[in-house]
Amino acid sequence: MPQPESEPGLVLRGVSVGYGGGPALRGVSLRVRPGEVVGLVGPNGSGKTTLVRVASRALRPHEGRVRVAGRDPYGISAREAARLVAVVPQDVVPAFSFTALEMVLMGRSPYLSPWGGGGPKDWARVRDAMMATAVQHLADRPVDELSGGERRRVILAQALAQDAPVLLLDEPTTHLDLRHVVDLLSIVRGLADREGTAILAIHHDLTLAAASCDRLAVLDRGTVVADGPPEDVVDRDLLRSVYGVEGDVVHDEASGRPAVRLGPPRAVPVRLGRRAHVVGGAGRGAPLMRRLVRAGFDVSAGVLHATDTDAAVAERLNLLRVLVPPFSAIDAAAAQDCRGLMEQADLLVVCDAPYGPGNVDNLSVALEVARSGVRTVVIEEVPIVERDFTSGRATELWNALREVSEVAFDYDEVVVDVG
Amino acid sequence: MIAPRRYRRLLVALATALAASFLLAVAVGAVWLSPWTTIRLLGWKLGIASYPRGVPHGYEVILFQLRLPRVVLAAVVGAALAASGTVFQGLFRNPLADPAIIGVSSGAALGAILVIVSVGAGALGAFAVPLAAFAGALLTAFLVYRLARIGPAVHVATLLLAGIAVAAVISSLMSLLMSFSGQEIRSIYAWLLGGLMAQGWPSIEAITPLVILGVAGAALTSHDLNLMALGEERAAQLGVEIDRVKRRAVAVGALLTGCAVSVAGVIGFVGLMTPHLLRLLVGADHRRLLPAVLLAGPILLIMADLLARTAIAPQELPVGVVTALLGGPFFLYLLRREGRGRRAAA
Repeated sequence: MPQPESEPGLVLRGVSVGYGGGPALRGVSLRVRPGEVVGLVGPNGSGKTTLVRVASRALRPHEGRVRVAGRDPYGISAREAARLVAVVPQDVVPAFSFTALEMVLMGRSPYLSPWGGGGPKDWARVRDAMMATAVQHLADRPVDELSGGERRRVILAQALAQDAPVLLLDEPTTHLDLRHVVDLLSIVRGLADREGTAILAIHHDLTLAAASCDRLAVLDRGTVVADGPPEDVVDRDLLRSVYGVEGDVVHDEASGRPAVRLGPPRAVPVRLGRRAHVVGGAGRGAPLMRRLVRAGFDVSAGVLHATDTDAAVAERLNLLRVLVPPFSAIDAAAAQDCRGLMEQADLLVVCDAPYGPGNVDNLSVALEVARSGVRTVVIEEVPIVERDFTSGRATELWNALREVSEVAFDYDEVVVDVG
Repeated sequence: MIAPRRYRRLLVALATALAASFLLAVAVGAVWLSPWTTIRLLGWKLGIASYPRGVPHGYEVILFQLRLPRVVLAAVVGAALAASGTVFQGLFRNPLADPAIIGVSSGAALGAILVIVSVGAGALGAFAVPLAAFAGALLTAFLVYRLARIGPAVHVATLLLAGIAVAAVISSLMSLLMSFSGQEIRSIYAWLLGGLMAQGWPSIEAITPLVILGVAGAALTSHDLNLMALGEERAAQLGVEIDRVKRRAVAVGALLTGCAVSVAGVIGFVGLMTPHLLRLLVGADHRRLLPAVLLAGPILLIMADLLARTAIAPQELPVGVVTALLGGPFFLYLLRREGRGRRAAA
């Protein structure tokens, strides 16, 4: 039996392992304390599954130290180890058709004698595990007839029935629909909180990992490159350096947890070599900017206030843009820059944004450029009187602009027209 | 998994069917021995009753010297084959494994023939042939397992191919041995085809203790075989020492096969069909499967042997021919279903 546990939970120190030229681990140190949920993330082939195998007594490391609940899993029997560390593998398809109940009962085998059918305690654990994963109604169904998601939950119940202080999950949420993802993550959280189980879960979805784990450890080519609270670990640099993708990391307003936002696939190699400039504001320009980018235009935007929705969208879309500080009027320099962009454009689109003292100068610049012969479209979903906050000046400029422009009544019209 | 009460009822039904097939097989022959006569003679032999009135003494000789040894041997061999099939199917994680199909029976036969040809059947005592058969079966089982396994899985195709290849090599070795054997060749050939004739009580006495040992081993391994069905790595995660279990299962399967082959030659398909059919009734749990199979295997072989000696009476067919005629189509059906099924590589 375990002595007083000097190293409770899961401890890996300086673990190195390699096999057959496949993924390997190099000097990995990682600790999961009781009651803690740690997410193990990293690209394919970074060694995540290898790490789980090392921790579950399936792959003895060449170097380093492994402790589960204070014991060396490679120094004890498989049966003893199975009482200390439970694994939820990605999938298990039995060779013969066992029922769900039989499968879950197998989770008790480290406690049973070869012929034992299980005592009251075993049955209670099995029942609890099946209740927790909501599979009790499947008890008598053969597992090979269950859906992938149902089978995942049966396997989770099997691991829960093992009653081990350390739980390892290999991509527990794949094949599950949203509802069951949420349920599974709350079961896992409940285990950590109530039973003090030390939990290590491999995740592919960084956002999900960040939302559900206390800490994230990032593996890259067999080494731990980051280990800490999700908000410290997940950022644009991580996406770029470890995964090689460009993306945004935003933070959930309520929880402060980071969430990854990837743009849609960059399928715009067909560049038309044409430029468009969008005059927007208050989000009225955003749909158009997106559509023009998708249609293959090089798009610029401005002048925008720095905190405006359209400014954020222009930043995301990586557009050339002219910005002024929030709540300030357009200064001469900005107007000058913007005029330059408009004059070089093949198409100038003026959106039906609200116009006030802070941005009305956009209209006067646009009017001059339109009069100089640049093809101009104004959008008029909302009549100008409803969005003139300059007591008439904006209306005056807008109507003048209308005279020298094409008028569109929604965004798609513009793109159909020019595309 | 069926309810415990249904399971018990099934066992009772199988035991009843076994008793019935036993009495029927004993009854049928050149002389009809009615079940009632048989029961009364058995009662007399066991000292419970006096010698039954009106039963000729010749009947006693027919029963105890001819019919009974044959039927009891069929029962013991049937049980051994069915149990070894169960163990091999669990070990290979494949419902198409059978000691004859995977070549283990041939290995056992080679071991037995080696002893018979070199020193003679009875020279080293009653256990020599069964033990030689066991050694042959053991070596073959290890060899086929190593050949059939690619990575973590034993695929149907590799299993069958490995079995065929090993069996082919073994059968040519047997032909070679037999060509040196001179006059014994005819009896060896008859034995190879699978036969229960003319064995008598000594064979039964020789193999029964070994079969009981094998069945006990199978019983102790059956829970681990359940876990092995989930894959080796998963079984290890649930506390199974997989190398130990594999060694034990190979030894148990080989012992049971060796016992059966040493007295009855190569009888195929009993080890395939029995666990397969019973699994449909009792579910996949080897702990429940084994007792059911130990009752059903004897029924199958007793009835097959009855057919073998009555179909073209007074001539006899080798019982292996009968089981092959029954089992071959069954095997082909399973193979097709497996191919179409969800996990062709299970």
